[in-house]
Amino acid sequence: MLFFVARRLFTAFITILVVVILAGVLIHVVPGDPITAMMAQSGSADAEDIARLTAQYGLDQPIWKQALLYVGNALQGDLGNTIRGGEPVAELLLDRLPNTIALAVAGLGTALVLGIPMGFIAAVNRGRAADFAVMLIAILGVSIPGFWMGLTFIQVFSLHLGWFPVAGTSARNIVLPALTLGVVHSALVARMTRSALVDILNEDYIRTARARGLRERQVLLVHAMRPAMISVVTVVGLVFAHLLGGQVITENVFSWNGIGRLAIQAMLQRDYPLVQGFIVIFATSIVLVTTMLDLLYGLLDPRVRRR
Amino acid sequence: MTKASKTLIALLSGATALTALPAMAQTTLTVARGVDADGLDPQQVSTTQSSQITNLIFDTLVTLDASGVAHPGLAESWEISDDNLSYAFSIREGITCHDGSDFTAEDVVFTFDRALDPETRNPRLGQYGPIENVSAEDNVVTVTMSEPYGPFMSYLGSFSIPMICQSSVTADGDFEPVGTGPFELVEWSRNDHITLSANDAYQNYNPLIENPGRPHIDELRLVVIPEAVARMAALRSGEVDLAEPSLEEAALLDADPAFKVYSADLSGQQVLTAFTWKIPPLDNPDVRRAIGMGLDRDAYAMIAYEGLVNPTTCPAAPGLIGVDLEKCAEWGVSYDPDAAREILEGLGYTQDNPLEVNLSVHALPGFDQMHQMMQQNLSEIGVQAELETREVAAFFDHMSQENMRTEGTPVVWTMGYSGVDSDYMTTMWKAPGFVNMGLGGEMDALLDEQRTLTGNARVEKLQEIQQILLEEGYAVPLVSPGWNWLWASSDKIDGFKTGFVASILFNDVQIAE
Amino acid sequence: MTDTTTNTRPGRLPAALRQWNIAVGALILGIVVLAAILAPWVAPYDPFKMASGPRLTGPTAAHWFGTDELGRDLFSRVLLGARLSLGIGFAAVAVGLVFGVIFGMVIAFSPERVKALLLRIVDVVYSFPDTLLALALVAFMGPGVENATIAIAISLIPFYARVTYGLAAVERAKPYVEAAQIAQAAPARIMRIQVLPNILQSLIVIGSIGFSSAILSAAGLSFLGLGVQPPSPEWGSILASGRNYISRAPWILIFPGLAICLTVLSFNLIGDGIRDFTDPKSRRRRT
Repeated sequence: MLFFVARRLFTAFITILVVVILAGVLIHVVPGDPITAMMAQSGSADAEDIARLTAQYGLDQPIWKQALLYVGNALQGDLGNTIRGGEPVAELLLDRLPNTIALAVAGLGTALVLGIPMGFIAAVNRGRAADFAVMLIAILGVSIPGFWMGLTFIQVFSLHLGWFPVAGTSARNIVLPALTLGVVHSALVARMTRSALVDILNEDYIRTARARGLRERQVLLVHAMRPAMISVVTVVGLVFAHLLGGQVITENVFSWNGIGRLAIQAMLQRDYPLVQGFIVIFATSIVLVTTMLDLLYGLLDPRVRRR
Repeated sequence: MTKASKTLIALLSGATALTALPAMAQTTLTVARGVDADGLDPQQVSTTQSSQITNLIFDTLVTLDASGVAHPGLAESWEISDDNLSYAFSIREGITCHDGSDFTAEDVVFTFDRALDPETRNPRLGQYGPIENVSAEDNVVTVTMSEPYGPFMSYLGSFSIPMICQSSVTADGDFEPVGTGPFELVEWSRNDHITLSANDAYQNYNPLIENPGRPHIDELRLVVIPEAVARMAALRSGEVDLAEPSLEEAALLDADPAFKVYSADLSGQQVLTAFTWKIPPLDNPDVRRAIGMGLDRDAYAMIAYEGLVNPTTCPAAPGLIGVDLEKCAEWGVSYDPDAAREILEGLGYTQDNPLEVNLSVHALPGFDQMHQMMQQNLSEIGVQAELETREVAAFFDHMSQENMRTEGTPVVWTMGYSGVDSDYMTTMWKAPGFVNMGLGGEMDALLDEQRTLTGNARVEKLQEIQQILLEEGYAVPLVSPGWNWLWASSDKIDGFKTGFVASILFNDVQIAE
Repeated sequence: MTDTTTNTRPGRLPAALRQWNIAVGALILGIVVLAAILAPWVAPYDPFKMASGPRLTGPTAAHWFGTDELGRDLFSRVLLGARLSLGIGFAAVAVGLVFGVIFGMVIAFSPERVKALLLRIVDVVYSFPDTLLALALVAFMGPGVENATIAIAISLIPFYARVTYGLAAVERAKPYVEAAQIAQAAPARIMRIQVLPNILQSLIVIGSIGFSSAILSAAGLSFLGLGVQPPSPEWGSILASGRNYISRAPWILIFPGLAICLTVLSFNLIGDGIRDFTDPKSRRRRT
């Protein structure tokens, strides 16, 4: 058992390492450098100044050297300082990570709240108009470009109706972005719920329950939904991981102070330490989530452990 | 205003305050921008958005009036030696830093020393000029240059060279912004918001500002809202009082009596078209001028920029030293597609055999529409332009390489530059130049020379430089301003002003009920 | 014996649901494809011609979708945009699918230790913000529709790799593969001759999902100014340049947005429909 956990953790660590090194090297290869981008507006960006600053930030070193230095520091917990403004990267990112996670959780919650009832109605009315109508609505949600939905929500709910504030990071502000994210992922949840429920409703034990005269509502909610939810749970991990990564545009549109928004700014400015810090934190989050799910299955199903 | 009347007014206001309703609410002005400051250390930042904030926390030695003439700031008076190598500034008495300590000549020396120290990694080091020594005796600071440096007073009055209080640098070497400016820092959450509070002890010497003392508002809160649609919604719903409008909505807001739109007249911004002049046939000045004749800058200003900018004719921004728009109009080209077509046909380029170029630009509001119009204009004179848009960092890298090539598809490209002094042309055009656009040769010598001159001699030299740039067709000026120059507020806001290089001034702001 | 309870009895037209999915989806897609093919002839105005009408006017008889900020006819642009969006979608899915399947198969046939690591890495890349990946790729390769398509294809690869792995892993556990391995057949041969044909059907379904993803990615890239270049009327590009006109000229956002929505919807419906149709469990219930 311990061996199983240790192996999983080791794989997780190697994954993060590989991703960070790979990504770190790749960013440096992308055209554009942070110093020129930074100096462009300074009004005194001559070649000498740019060369001087490039050397001072250690950016003229060969890429492999920079990568080694970075990984060495990162393993000690030092993610360096941003090129622009000299702020400590770890602090910047960790301050905002809770906001991103909060939004991911809210988005997941919305997806479940919207998707499960839709899947339920569809399964229970399988083959009829209600089934088709509900699934159509669900698929519609996943067909709308996220930024379009976001902008429309702002215009309608914030500006014209005044129900929610436009920008910021607080409980009142979380509704619209969570809705935007949730609608998109509710289709997957609805589909899972529907197919799981449809399978279960044809099982013998359901027929038996009905034959025994149990009320329909009890049959559906207690005997059918519970096992169906187990199937939905398998999808939750995937959706959550996807939400963590898919927030960048949403955070930008809604001015949500999360790490996604910071990352895109960093990328545009080629602020290497900040981009690399983001990758470290992001990869760690994803790997943690998937590893935990893996461990969970291992705990529940002994066959998995032996593999 | 005499001291007596000042006292009388103070007494009267105090009296009215006593009879006013109790529980004075704090007045907070909320401002929305699209991009945040990179940092609050004025010696480590280079972007306009960063300097807009440092300009509120720190003050400058001298201040500039609307014509760019220097007035006293933290320096009460100054003397410049006859050989233009030595500046002696008398520092004003009675100024306090935000933490209560006195602001003295020592703070000035500290500021210069730190700015010039290579460890500080100051991106604006070049603007300080060839400083040899900075020293203080009593309250006089003497700055000695190794060569005359014409633009010095302009830069000293701009947000590039503000004065820092020594207490800004803590024992650990960290930087906590402490200055003498109208606002003090309360908190900064990067990429989210900055909160500033009014400096009670503030004394104003900036001729662009009317309020002689403490700002009227108590608190200033600047928030970051990256998406223009969201910013506009926030402004319209009242969530923010003042915001950077999108170009597209600014026209709407201007016409709406519930809102006001402001334009940064002293922006010092310039948008111009340049060429990879090393690649034939753009090595021929006639071809460059012909392409310039095909560009309809009036239409770009009216349509692409919704009439919110002015077409311009000089390679340095209107309002800066040495910039004479009429003379530039004579030296440069104006929209004349027929003449352009003639020239190009004479060289063999027709509608059936067009001159192929790449039109390279970077993303910026207004640029999209303008460049699509440019592409259209060029096709009408026999030039087939392939439009390529890149994000800023990638664009600079691309142009650095393109400007070095001597063969292949020539590139017509657009750039924007801003500053408080025409000296910024040196950064662009002196070899190697910004993204390798430098010209070299005679131009280098002229650019170096203008720096060492002052007064009319300098104006003449600057005009000589501009004449060459225009007559040889190296630059085709388009419009001014070009980015981040617009502001919009609700009707209740009064007294918002903009300063040089799109700085923002809140001293006079009052919020009506 | 008939069920007396109501809710689990298959509806009046049990096969109708699956057919409805495919029917409606195919109908919408058919219209979009027609628009794409016929655009140059059917469009009332030249999509690139500025000042075809007064700027920023709403839908009228002369301009069904209104005009944009440079006076171009929006209807003509949306029509031509169909060509671009579908083209990008097809190309990106084709490239992404090929490489994704290859990677997925390779992982499925890798030794245990390596497999776990590769899967984990694919997970991370799959979850990685598309935007950042696209930004880096486009910055690296330069602007333009071809490079944007490649960037989208690359972002699709992890998804296809993972799905292929899942399907191939199931197949690999089956006796016929074990038999081939005992007979010393080369892994590549096993993959190609035996496993691939068996999972092909599922891959077709997955392909349709990739389509919707590709079109949405293209729109997203254009939204960030990274994808197709103006004045190209790719739907996302029109949305990107027009988004600040949301108060002044909302039609610039409404019509291309609806076009994206309907096209993606049609692919999702068809994909869903095919999946229901080929699901062996549903087939059983039909009899």
